[in-house]
Amino acid sequence: MKRSFKDDFNMMAMLLIPIAVAVNLVGFQLANVLRLPIFLDTIGTILVGVIAGPWVALLAGLITNLINAIFNPVYLPYALTSMAIGVGAGYLSKYGFFKKIPKTIVAGVIITFIAVIISAPITVLVFGGATGNTSSLITATFLASGQQLWTAVFSSSFITEVADKVASVLIVYFIVKGMSDRYLSKMNYGHLYMKRNNKK
Amino acid sequence: MKQNILLQLHPLTKFYFSLFILVIVLIIPGYSFAFAIFPVLVLIAVFAGVSKEFLSIVLKALLSVLIIVFIMQMFFYPGDHVLWNWGIFSIKQEGVDYGLLLTSRILAIGSSFILFFRMTEVRDFVKSLEDKGLPPMGAYVVLSTLQIIPEMKRQANTIMEAQKTRGVETEGSLLIRAKAFIPTLTPLILSSIAGTEERAITLESRAFSAPVKKTSLHQLTKSNVDRVLPIVYVLIIVGLLVWRFFL
Amino acid sequence: MTVMIDLKNVSYRYPVSDDFVLKNVSFSIEKGKFTAIIGNNGSGKTTLCNTIRGFVPHFYKGDLEGDVIVDQTKILDYQLGQLGEKVGYVFQNPFIQVSGVKDNVFEEVAYGLENLGVPVEEIIVRVEEILKLVKIEHLREKNPFELSGGQRQRVALASIIVMDPEILVIDEPTSQLDPVGTEQIFDIIRLMKERGKTIILVEHKMDLIAEYADDLLVMHEGELVMQGPVREVFANPEFEKYQIQYPHVTEIALQLQKMGTPLAFLPIRDEELAEALNMTGVKIHD
Repeated sequence: MKRSFKDDFNMMAMLLIPIAVAVNLVGFQLANVLRLPIFLDTIGTILVGVIAGPWVALLAGLITNLINAIFNPVYLPYALTSMAIGVGAGYLSKYGFFKKIPKTIVAGVIITFIAVIISAPITVLVFGGATGNTSSLITATFLASGQQLWTAVFSSSFITEVADKVASVLIVYFIVKGMSDRYLSKMNYGHLYMKRNNKK
Repeated sequence: MKQNILLQLHPLTKFYFSLFILVIVLIIPGYSFAFAIFPVLVLIAVFAGVSKEFLSIVLKALLSVLIIVFIMQMFFYPGDHVLWNWGIFSIKQEGVDYGLLLTSRILAIGSSFILFFRMTEVRDFVKSLEDKGLPPMGAYVVLSTLQIIPEMKRQANTIMEAQKTRGVETEGSLLIRAKAFIPTLTPLILSSIAGTEERAITLESRAFSAPVKKTSLHQLTKSNVDRVLPIVYVLIIVGLLVWRFFL
Repeated sequence: MTVMIDLKNVSYRYPVSDDFVLKNVSFSIEKGKFTAIIGNNGSGKTTLCNTIRGFVPHFYKGDLEGDVIVDQTKILDYQLGQLGEKVGYVFQNPFIQVSGVKDNVFEEVAYGLENLGVPVEEIIVRVEEILKLVKIEHLREKNPFELSGGQRQRVALASIIVMDPEILVIDEPTSQLDPVGTEQIFDIIRLMKERGKTIILVEHKMDLIAEYADDLLVMHEGELVMQGPVREVFANPEFEKYQIQYPHVTEIALQLQKMGTPLAFLPIRDEELAEALNMTGVKIHD
């Protein structure tokens, strides 16, 4: 009986991963269609971190980038970033960061730092500082104004990421609000967000 | 299609080939060799009968990256040998060299992975990883993700259309467009999640967690070539390492 | 006869609710019997099915009181994975009951056997046989996602039957199907009864229950209020107070009786109506 408890959680968490990956992709597509200036391509990963914990989210992040890499290998090295975002969101959730809006915004900023710290070295070492997305232009501007490469990449990706991640965590916050207790009760961290307090 | 010798190779043989390209490109200095890899990959793609998809994805995914990476290095890589100068912009020999090195590597490694996925069904690749010890849950997650993505994209479009007819604006100022995002994505996520409980029950009903070793209708075969090629890759890599660092 | 399913004073409450959805339910079902569970929405039918299948409490958690014994073993002593072979479970929504990882119907039906570790040669033989039995051979190459609701439900049934469980729990399999689809599903259920399976079916279509089922369990607000052979339950005046539909012919016969027409017995199948009316007062039906 003890064994199956663990398994069942895994089963529900496992079924959440494909949805999360699809949400990442659909979010990105929607942001494109609506011509929004941000990517919104990590909503699924953050959502998994918040309700199912860091390790499930790590997997969701990894699989997102692997699947994107089938059509664009540039995504491959950034799998590390996605995984880190997932783990970060998981731990922030564990310590209660997604319960109220102000703390959620703080969590968004922390996740931005995580994303930038992991992705900037990849951008510099693998791609020499730019991969052709919006932040490349800002990086070029910084470089042209005489900044060092690392500073330029760090600051330009922070600028492009922070709005994206704060918007993403807020969307996740509202999605979790909309989830039923019945569903949340089956997720590892779900009890943190249930409307009624359940004696476990 | 399936008669093709290259396509019939075991997925891992093809995957190891991509890794092999990655390693040799990093071992061998300079950009000429790495650039020379690309025509070889094109040739393989032609023999495998996937050249069209291969080239179109290389163009779509890599071309813009290559151009931008090159331009960035050309202008901003530190160096003394100025080739051309205009205001604050100057092109330096060192930048051109480093730009060529980076782009040659990105092209070789990137296109080798693009080629791999054009020559291999993801389903076969996942199966080969399962044979290597990937847990059934991992395999399930990847395969199910591949099925869910088109389904959810379709649903997203349906919801968008419905939003439009209900008067939710998807055109106009940034704020208006941003406001359309949440009512589209949220119901999509919540309805997908609502189905997971029943999906879990379905899987349990199909004995997903039965405490036995699973069998599979889908079997991958290994030919002698599949046994020999990985050894060849390793020998070449070891040879290159010896040449590079000991001779 | 051996008892296949035995519930003793079973009460159950879901983890996020205060109320018990099953209240002190006791019954036993013999091997090879076809038992229908009826009752209005929210009466606990689906929860009862989940209990027999072991999803309560293994999957849904919550508090389970009393004993649930399936094939002489307490449900708590099974692992969830082990029950798959013993109890087949098919439910209402045909659209979600697919593995989600298979490209065609043949592989979809084979999925359970792969999970049970059945050798490949045997899988092929068994799947072929079931496709024929369930009459979905023509769908074998189709993608499960491209099928209609009725076709999907038959594929779902086939995918369970192929695993050859001794017990089949089927929860409202036809609620989203048209009459033709319903007929096809009941054909399969009848075949399973002929093969000696123990069948538990939740269903609202009383005509079909009257025609095929042996016994009835009537659920009302979490309690098992009536149980017994189908004919006896329908004939019991108490049945009326739970406001559950009668078979059509029974409904008519009861109306006639109210209006003064005497009945020899209460008919539950269409073809019995004439007999019930003609033979008035002459002979009492068994």
